[in-house]
Amino acid sequence: MNTTQQTARVGLFFLLGVALVWVTFETLSDGKIFEEHTKTLIAGFGDLKQLKTGDEVRLAGVKVGSVAKTRLAGRRAEALLQIDPKVPIASDASASIVMSGLIGGNYISIDMGSSGAPPLPDGAEIRTVETPDLNTLMSEIGGLGKQLQDSLGSFSKALNGDGKAGGGIIQKLDKLVTDNSSRVDATMSNLQEITGKINRGEGTLGKLVNDPKLHDELLATVAEIRSTATQAKEFVSNAEAMMDQVKSGQGPLGTLVYDQKAADDIKASIANIRSVSDKLAKGEGTLGKLINDPGLYNNAQVTIKKVDRALDGLSDSGPITAVGIVANALF
Amino acid sequence: MKQLYAILEGVGSVVQLLVRSLSYWATIPRQRARFIEQCYMIGYTTLPIVAILSFFIGTVLALEAGYAMSDFGAKEFIGSLVGLSMARELGPMMTAVLLAGRVGSAITAELASMKVYQEIDALTTMNIPAAKILVLPRLAAVLVMMPVLIIIANIVGWFGGSVVARYVSYVGISPEAYFAALRHYTKFKDVMNGMEKAEVFGFVVVLVCCDIGLNTRGGPREIGAAVTRAVVVSLILILVLDYFVTKILL
Repeated sequence: MNTTQQTARVGLFFLLGVALVWVTFETLSDGKIFEEHTKTLIAGFGDLKQLKTGDEVRLAGVKVGSVAKTRLAGRRAEALLQIDPKVPIASDASASIVMSGLIGGNYISIDMGSSGAPPLPDGAEIRTVETPDLNTLMSEIGGLGKQLQDSLGSFSKALNGDGKAGGGIIQKLDKLVTDNSSRVDATMSNLQEITGKINRGEGTLGKLVNDPKLHDELLATVAEIRSTATQAKEFVSNAEAMMDQVKSGQGPLGTLVYDQKAADDIKASIANIRSVSDKLAKGEGTLGKLINDPGLYNNAQVTIKKVDRALDGLSDSGPITAVGIVANALF
Repeated sequence: MKQLYAILEGVGSVVQLLVRSLSYWATIPRQRARFIEQCYMIGYTTLPIVAILSFFIGTVLALEAGYAMSDFGAKEFIGSLVGLSMARELGPMMTAVLLAGRVGSAITAELASMKVYQEIDALTTMNIPAAKILVLPRLAAVLVMMPVLIIIANIVGWFGGSVVARYVSYVGISPEAYFAALRHYTKFKDVMNGMEKAEVFGFVVVLVCCDIGLNTRGGPREIGAAVTRAVVVSLILILVLDYFVTKILL
């Protein structure tokens, strides 16, 4: 191989290497040789958990920056977030530390905030929200497990007793059943007898169960009761409607109950009636005398008798007489 | 005590050779032909074996990761594991090991032969320093070629992992998911980290192999012993340096 060929191959090899380095660089770093100018925000937390430098910052799940530095600041831990300056972070947006997977890895999640809020300037502090991490959750689950264990222990103790006098529920039930076994047997025997009678169709319940006629009658009775109930419901409904009308002052009854003028009229009428009845009782006026004076009654009786006789005579003299009487009366 | 003395002598000799070589740094442009020849030897001819080894390292990594991670449902992270492992550790280290085995042994054999057959002495007699024409071009070539070898090793290794991730039944994740995880967790900074590490490894391997070759004494039998010693020392140095360089770079 001559020197020229060797040189060409080495040159080609070197250029290939440079090209591959460039491709790798473009692929892995998105073509950023130097750090771009970024906006820095400060996020303060009580505990940064496993957050570390280089972890992602995501706005609504989209990567917008990274954690540049973590540091202690007094009684809290701070993470400096480098954010793409083209992405506005609302001043009321809040940041939280979120686990990206069970095997570790965290990122800062920022929510969108409200649409009208002004963007945070460079160096501003973003609001933060503390979120429980896996350790906290496991600790709480452990606490729950202990509570569950205690509850089950108490339940078990209540069932089985704690060895002291009296025992648990199971022992008490056992004692109760043992002490009353004869009564329980008798009760069971009675129950057996009752169910046997029912099965044979004896007694009301047995007939009800076994006799289809009684069953049909019962059904008919129930239907009648239902019909009656429907009617009663309609009646009540009508009564309610009527009461509504009365309450609203409609109709005579409503007017009577709720119309003040009508009430005054009635009151006046009653007063008049009372006055008339008083006069009647005292024998004042024509009617009073008629009621109270027996002489007037006797005179009236005599007069009626006379009229009666006159009418009898009139019927005997015929229609001509009657015409004559009428004509006399007219002329 | 004797061995400790031998180690100290070796360290001193390497440092002297480094200083002597660097003192001729300005002569590199005039040694263009030698530089190109060494680039060809160190880079171009080493590429096939580096590519094959890296491909299978990537596949084995994906296989092992898939087997272990499928137990707890983390197969999606295979790409990130292969990507980071190849870029930060296995790519540079295995390439340096191959360099020690293939190039380092050849350098030691060549220089030891020249020493045994008194060619080095002849050069010295003619006032041509061996550090200038035999060591410096190799050091310059390894510095230029190592990044190229590393980036090829990384890419081939990543591709090998994706093949396993796609076609091995119990792994079974798509290349898109594999490369998405790889891109998500592997940064260019990690690749650069690996390259820096590989530069250190390659430089030390070539320097040590040159020194052992130039210090060979005796007959032809000593040439084989020098090659063996050069490879063993290079491998030990790679692993020892790996710890310290990684600690510095992290």
